[in-house]
Amino acid sequence: FIVRLIAKMQHDEVIWQVINQGFCSFKIKLEKQNFCRNKFNVTGLCNRSSCPLANSRYATVLEEKGICYLYIKTIERAHSPKNLWEKIKLRRNYATALKQISDHLQYWPNFNVHKCKQRLTKIHQYLIRMRKLKLKVRPKLVGIHKKVERREKVREAKAEKAARLENAIKNELVERLKQGMYDEVVNFPQQVWQKALDGVEGEMDEDRDQGEEYDDVYDEEDEDEEEEESEFVEAYDEDIMGSDIEDYEDAFAAMQQDDDDDDDDDDDDEPTSKKKKT
Amino acid sequence: MSGSARPLVGVYSITGESGNQVKLPDVFRAPVRHDIVNFVHTQVCKNARIPYAVCRRAGHRTSAESWGTGRAVSRIPRVAGGGTSRSGQGAFGNMCRGGHMFSPTKVFRRWHRRCNKNMRRYAVCSALAASAVPALVMARGHQIRDVPEIPLVVSNKIQGINKTKAAKLALTALNASTDTDKVKATKKVRVGKGKRRNRRYVMKKGPMIVFAKNQGGFQGFRNLPGVTLAKVSALNILELAPGGHLGRFIIWSEDAFTALKDYFGVFGKEASARKYKMPTPLIKNSDVTSIINSKAIQAITRPQKSKKPKKGVSHNPLRHNPTMFKLRPYEFQRRRMVAAAIACRRGLEKNGQLFKQKPKVKKYPMKKKAYRAQLKSKAKAAKDAKAKAAKAPAKKK
Repeated sequence: FIVRLIAKMQHDEVIWQVINQGFCSFKIKLEKQNFCRNKFNVTGLCNRSSCPLANSRYATVLEEKGICYLYIKTIERAHSPKNLWEKIKLRRNYATALKQISDHLQYWPNFNVHKCKQRLTKIHQYLIRMRKLKLKVRPKLVGIHKKVERREKVREAKAEKAARLENAIKNELVERLKQGMYDEVVNFPQQVWQKALDGVEGEMDEDRDQGEEYDDVYDEEDEDEEEEESEFVEAYDEDIMGSDIEDYEDAFAAMQQDDDDDDDDDDDDEPTSKKKKT
Repeated sequence: MSGSARPLVGVYSITGESGNQVKLPDVFRAPVRHDIVNFVHTQVCKNARIPYAVCRRAGHRTSAESWGTGRAVSRIPRVAGGGTSRSGQGAFGNMCRGGHMFSPTKVFRRWHRRCNKNMRRYAVCSALAASAVPALVMARGHQIRDVPEIPLVVSNKIQGINKTKAAKLALTALNASTDTDKVKATKKVRVGKGKRRNRRYVMKKGPMIVFAKNQGGFQGFRNLPGVTLAKVSALNILELAPGGHLGRFIIWSEDAFTALKDYFGVFGKEASARKYKMPTPLIKNSDVTSIINSKAIQAITRPQKSKKPKKGVSHNPLRHNPTMFKLRPYEFQRRRMVAAAIACRRGLEKNGQLFKQKPKVKKYPMKKKAYRAQLKSKAKAAKDAKAKAAKAPAKKK
């Protein structure tokens, strides 16, 4: 076995020469620096002393899920890649971990010990940073897929069109009316309602979007405007629409004389209501 | 390094269990010479080339002749005849449309290279030796992290695996399948025109499996991605060091492993299967650094010559007071005086010290004298103090 040691011991220099001057799959060559992609490299640089392949006695510190491990490689196990690295779990406490490294690498060359400790320090620093960052609320960046956005936008428009919301809302409101949900809410003469309902039913039968016959009763707007109109009716007590319109016209005339007023609706209500009340 | 006791290599079953041990053949201790391997590889690589050339008569299928001078045209040969747009056009030259190319490629180009037999064999020895070094195999890019041992020797049953399914199982048991998986993942369409010339796909190289005898193993393993098969009797440098790079991952059958001795022999002795003597390493122990640092040699070497002292960090005296003091001891005094003069001028009241010193910058020469005298007296005082101090501990003792 000892002979095997000697036989293998020869190889470090040879390995380095072949790797450095020949080919190494882990080497990344940049203009001024060479880096090493090897997972077990302590420094990350491509150096004679940092190369985990060219040094039969080597140590690194690696981090897995927040726990640091000390990996040690010795010449005795150089022939068996499976058992090459001895993995030692380091304590979470930074100071204790440093001591652990010193203990495990007790008579090792200073370079290895020092670099392991440096790496451990860096790891702890970035772990701390990670923990701090987790506490902060960071906006999650989501990429915008132009194609997807465009596609969805068009589909949305199509779907909206297909849904025919106005119709649906109108029908729903009429249904509600019929059911009598608005009986307490709205003070409307029954006849007017019936008229309207009949008209709307006619609409529904005909399946038309707009009730053009009922322009004089209703505006061309939705039945959403009903409540607005109810206000209108309130102001005029129980007068029929015709007289209301006359008053409306008077109110308009009155309004035109007034210079200050801006809002039409408000002005309509106020002067007329004042008029009527007094 | 004594040649008597040779290291042993474990033989693994096709299910991955370790069994008996075999002696490591001397080939694996041959000198690893990547320069020789590279050279041999480039030479031998050229031997499989198929000649290519342009058609012999390309560009010469006209009876063109130069019109000579006096016709207000260039003297290039022109196509004879008439009645077609081709007539009168330049021909033959590499600059002409439809002419021959510059230096038409010839079939009698020297395609193949010869390489010394011994050199070729040296390269093979080197490549085999490199394949026994896990570091070099890893550096080449093989995924051998979980392989039980390098060199990987498997029982002879591997030679009889004629089913690919079983072959894959065997490799998985030996943890060599990660290498084939890597190869499978790297299969991609070739870059360049080769893709339309029946060389569509490119893959990396995986493990090389060396048999002593084909008992069906070739059929079993040949379809696995990246796997190269070989017989011990015919080891190809192009397979052992693909691309001229050392460290192919090789899986040996037990018979093949032991047969290496027949083909390569032992250091200093000729092989039995062929007339070949392996290259003995020039240095027995190639770890030169450890030799130099060994006690035996360090005891003989002369002590290191004293190195020239380092220049040290040069400081800017304007910013670094000790350096300034070395160069100009008076500087600080001067500065103080200047400051005092300014303060005086402004009528500011600073430390009483300032007013103690007469800010007579004009009387510089005199002040310097006085200052020098001051230094002298100070030095003297220091000396006396030292003498006293020296006496005091002496007394104590």
